[in-house]
Order: sequence, then structure tokens, then C-alpha cells
Amino acid sequence: MTATISHTRLRFLFAFFTVVSLLLSARLAYWQTVGRADLLSRATDQVHSDLVVAAQRGVIRDRNGAILATTVELRSLYAIPGLMTDRDGHDQKPAVAAALAPILGERPEVLRAAFDSGAEWLFVRRRLPEETAVRIAALPLAGLGFEMEPKRLYPNGSVGAQVLGFVNDDGVGQYGVEGRYAAELSGTPGRLVVARDPANRELALGLRTAVPAKNGDDLSLTIDLAVQNAVERELAAVVEREKAAGGAIVVLDPKDGAVLAIASSPTYDPARVGSADAEALRNRAISWTYEPGSTMKPITIAAALDKGAVTPTTSYQDVGYAVIGGRKLCNAQCKVYGPTTITQILARSQNAGAVFVASKLGASDLNAYLHAFGFGQRTAVDLSAETTGIVRPLAEWYPVDLGTISFGQGLSVTPLQLATAYAAIANGGNLYRPYVVASRRDADGEHRTAPVVVRRVISEETSATLVTMLTTTVDNGIANAASLKGYSVAGKTGTAQIPSDDGSYVDDAYISSFAGFVPAVDPRMVVVVVLEKPQSKLLGTVPAMNTFKAIATDALRYARVQPDRS
Amino acid sequence: MTFAQAVRAPQARRVPHRLHREAVAHHRGASRHAATRIRTSSWEIRSFLLASGVIVACFLVVLLYLAQATAVSAASYEAQRLAAQRDELRRQNALLVIESARLDSPARVETEAQRLGLVRAATIRVVVTEAAAATR
Repeated sequence: MTATISHTRLRFLFAFFTVVSLLLSARLAYWQTVGRADLLSRATDQVHSDLVVAAQRGVIRDRNGAILATTVELRSLYAIPGLMTDRDGHDQKPAVAAALAPILGERPEVLRAAFDSGAEWLFVRRRLPEETAVRIAALPLAGLGFEMEPKRLYPNGSVGAQVLGFVNDDGVGQYGVEGRYAAELSGTPGRLVVARDPANRELALGLRTAVPAKNGDDLSLTIDLAVQNAVERELAAVVEREKAAGGAIVVLDPKDGAVLAIASSPTYDPARVGSADAEALRNRAISWTYEPGSTMKPITIAAALDKGAVTPTTSYQDVGYAVIGGRKLCNAQCKVYGPTTITQILARSQNAGAVFVASKLGASDLNAYLHAFGFGQRTAVDLSAETTGIVRPLAEWYPVDLGTISFGQGLSVTPLQLATAYAAIANGGNLYRPYVVASRRDADGEHRTAPVVVRRVISEETSATLVTMLTTTVDNGIANAASLKGYSVAGKTGTAQIPSDDGSYVDDAYISSFAGFVPAVDPRMVVVVVLEKPQSKLLGTVPAMNTFKAIATDALRYARVQPDRS
Repeated sequence: MTFAQAVRAPQARRVPHRLHREAVAHHRGASRHAATRIRTSSWEIRSFLLASGVIVACFLVVLLYLAQATAVSAASYEAQRLAAQRDELRRQNALLVIESARLDSPARVETEAQRLGLVRAATIRVVVTEAAAATR
């Protein structure tokens, strides 16, 4: 009986273990086959981290190697409010807020409110200055930590801001070089897949797949920091003195179109873009247009000389005005000059004379030369947000437009367009594409930008004649205030009315400008100064010329340009 | 057979070995049986030693592997620590370079010069090299 019971029990036991073994085997087989991928994935997720390796944004330097913009990792302060307790579990949020507030320049209540917002994790302040981060790190505060974040820094403050642009919080370049060369500067992010231990350290024997990041290219600009600084200093001073609404200055190398400096007022500090006025973000040298006024007369005369319509000694009888298209166009203050040569038209800035020259040239040729000089189209400078200006199609010209456009009204230009046109006059007749990036350095080495001649606009002979006429304008004419001791200067003033929304002109407000180059022979720089609504009104060209002088004096001294006059 | 028995066995069998030589003359059958036993014992010892050797060798290999793996891990952690230190030093260097650029900024130099009471030179005398050479 006992043996029988024993055998039965044994059989049950055997059957039980057999079934359990089969079930376990089946389960094991399941996890080893069907469920393997899921298990592997879950196990992998626990130890593997898949990170995007950020590429280092390229450095921007001036033509002499001075750093204009670079990126560095700064510490961002984050908080985990749930961990802000002492050893006994008492709430430490008020103490943490009180300790941080004076360092961050924030009120404790604001920090306390952030800690009590219910967020499990929050940034207290991003991209802290290093000294601030060091002070906070030294405090024994619970629930705080640092995370590295890249920050674009501009060591020269607002100097060059309009050329450089800025980088927003998402790391995307905006405006200027940062915007135009966003792709080249930003590089390509890499990827790093590694196994990590519970302390978040890489396991040496674990999985490691790395695709290295490709850092952004470094750019060297044609901008000269010293000249840029002088230009911005003088622009800020004249805008303040003249209580002007704004202004712009462009300095070009006429030999190849390299931009030496660009300034625009109002401007901004790239480190405080968030608080900048929208108007301050606009680079008036390329994104703003104005009627150039008399600075266009050399263009009209260059076209007529090049076409053979007039010579420097061609004369006409000035009666103080010209009638064209049934409209009477006067000289400034309707002054009568009598017999006048073409050279004198420039030296005295006679509107009637410009109309005379334009009439000799004809609308079709004037329109063609305006386009040849690059007006009404982008210069293709390598900066973002350039505008075209307006030169209406010939078919839309009224007869009077030939007259008004001859002295710079009825069309609009950018300061940069005017500078490139004057550069063509200065360099013997070639229109260069202005450029800001002199070279780009990537893993393959340095790639230099070759100057680009867009077209020949006027002959060398016409250019030489214009240079002489413009030099006379400065030496003995209306632009005498721009003359420099020791250097020959060629240039022309401009005073233009400002169009209003209703199609007429704004009363008693003007745009004053001066465009010139120095030395007149073998010129080193073209400078265009434009002031919007200076308080000197019709005499606004004088502060514009003074600004030109100050910039030219500084730049020539800095560049050690030998005087060409005793 | 225990390890102690196995170690003792060869010595323990020397006396029977001598007895065996004496008995050869008298009992050839017994001697054949004894020889078989000796061969069997010898094989067991060798097998045991071989197995023990393999086990010890495996143990040493595993120990070596673990030692190497531990050393690699430790070196890896050290490399990570050094890499982090290098990155931090590079970051500090970058901050210093920026600070240097800020201090070299013409705008800052001008402001500092004004603060020190320096003024811009009104005129600068220039010696034209060609003219100077012609007078010699």
C-alpha cells in the first residue's frame, strides 16, 4: 500500500516538474526567439545613450586676425525643486532663492515663485557669465546643477554688429555674416552611441559608435576692426550731434570691392539682441534706401562723358533753372550762375546743369548707365537682407524724370550701391562686387574669395576725367569741407528731400550725404556717409563731410598711407 | 580518491612496489594484477593532475582577463576624467582668449585712453621716404 502511494506521489511529482519544466522551457524559448528583440531593446535602453554631438560654430575674424565672434560653452543653472531639502527633509527653497538672488540680480520672490511653480526641472538662468557661475558653484545649495550650453560671444560689443549679425537662442545665425553664412559657420553635428554605467560614465568595454561632428568653417572678413571702430565712433557722434534719425557709413577698397567697414545707426549690441529695437536690427547700408540727391550728379556726368555727349569743357548758359517735361527744376535756392562748364556743374552742384547734361545724354542712355553702375539691383554683397533700391523701368519714366533722376531724385539707392558706383569711378571704370568674407577655412584648408569684376562701366579715360572733376569739387567747390591736409580728395555732397507716403516730399527734412575717395589718385578707400534728417537740414552735408574727414584721417593714419600732397 | 590520497599514493605504492619485485618470482599472476593496478593508479593521477592543471589554467586565464578588463575600465575612466579636464581647460582657454580680445578692442582702448586723459594727436609729421632719399 505504501509503495503504491509512494509511486503515485512520485508520478505526480514527476508530472508536476515535467510540466513546470516544459512551461519554463517554453517561456525561455519565447524570450530567446520571439521576445528577444524586445528584451534586448529594453536592456540596451537602460545602458546606452544616443547623443547628438554639437558642432563647434566657426570663428569670425577681421582682416588682421582679431576675433569678432566666437562660441564658447557657458554654464546654465538649472534647479530640481524636489531636491531642495536638507538632511531632515526640511524645505530649503526659500534659503536657495535668498542665496541666489543677489548673485543673479533677481528678486528672491521671483526665484521662489519659479521653484514653487510645480516644475520638476527648470532653468534658473541660461549661459551665465563664468564668474557668476563660479560664485554659485561655490555655494552649498541643494537641488541646483549646471549644464553646458554654447554661447556666441562678441568681444568688441556693438562694434561691427551690423556686419556680423547675431545668433539666436536656437543657434541659428540671423542677419549679416552670421545669417548669410549660417550653413558654413554652423557645421554638421555628429552622433555618439555609448554604453554607460549608473554614474553616467562611458563603459570602456561597451558599445561605442561615434560619428564625429564637423565643426563650422572659420571666416576671415575684409573688415578692419580699427577702421570699423573709427567709423562707428564717428557715426554715433554725428548722429548725436545732429540729432539725426539715423545714418549709415560704408568704407570700401575701390581696387577690389572689399568692404573695410559698414556702420548703421541706430544699432544694437549682439549680446542683448532681445532688448534691441526692431529698427536697430536693420543695416541701413544695405537694407535701407534713400533718394541720393546730388551724389548722383557724378554718375550722370560720367555717363554723358563716356557716351561722348559732353566734355569737361562743354558749357551752357545757366539761368538758375531748367525746364523739362513742362516742369521747372531749379538750382539750390534758384541761384543763377551764367556760363557754366561741366566741371563747374559738379563743383557748384547745379541741378539745372545736371538736367542739361542728362538732356544731352537722353533717357535711354541714362537708364542704361544707371543699371550698369548697379543701381536698381542688389550688389550681391555676401550679407543677408540686402535690398535693390528702385530705378523704374524706362517705359515708366515721365519726361521730367530724366531731369530729376539726373540730380538724384526719383530713384532710390542703398549707401552700398553708391559706394560701389564711386569705387568704379575711382578705380578706372570697373564695377566690383562688394564682399565681406575674405577667406573661409575648413578641414581642407583656406579658400580665399577672389574679387569679382561685374562689368566695366566707363572707360579709364572717363574715370580719370571724373576723378579730376571730383577733386576740383573738393579743392575749390561745394565739397571743400571734405579736403584733407596732405591728401587729395575726390567727392561730392548730396542733399535730398524725403518722399512721404502721399507721394509728395516731407517738409523741411532732408537726407544729407557725402561720397568720396582718398587719395584721389591711387585711391585707398571710398567712403559714403549718409545722415537721415540732421538738424542742420540743408547744411547737413557739412557734418557729413566732417565725418568723412575724421574717418579718412584715422584710416589713412592707421594704414600708414603716404601723403600725396605737401 | 581525495587530493591527499592522490598525492600520497606514489610514495605509498613504493613499498608494495618492492614487495611486488620479491613476489614476481613466486606469483607471476599476482604481479600482472599489481602492474595493472599501478598503471591504473598512474593514469588516474595524471588525469587528476591534467584536470587540475586545466582548471587552474582556466582560472588563471579568467583572472588575467578580469585583471585586464578591470585595468581597461580603470584606464577608460581615467581617460574620461582627463578628457573632461582637457575640455574644461580648453573652455577656460577660450574664455581667456575672448577676454584678451575684449581688452584689445579698439573701442575699449580708446575709452581707457580718454579715462587716462590722453588726447588724439592734432597733427602727425610724415617723412616721405623718396623725398628724404633724394636730399642725401
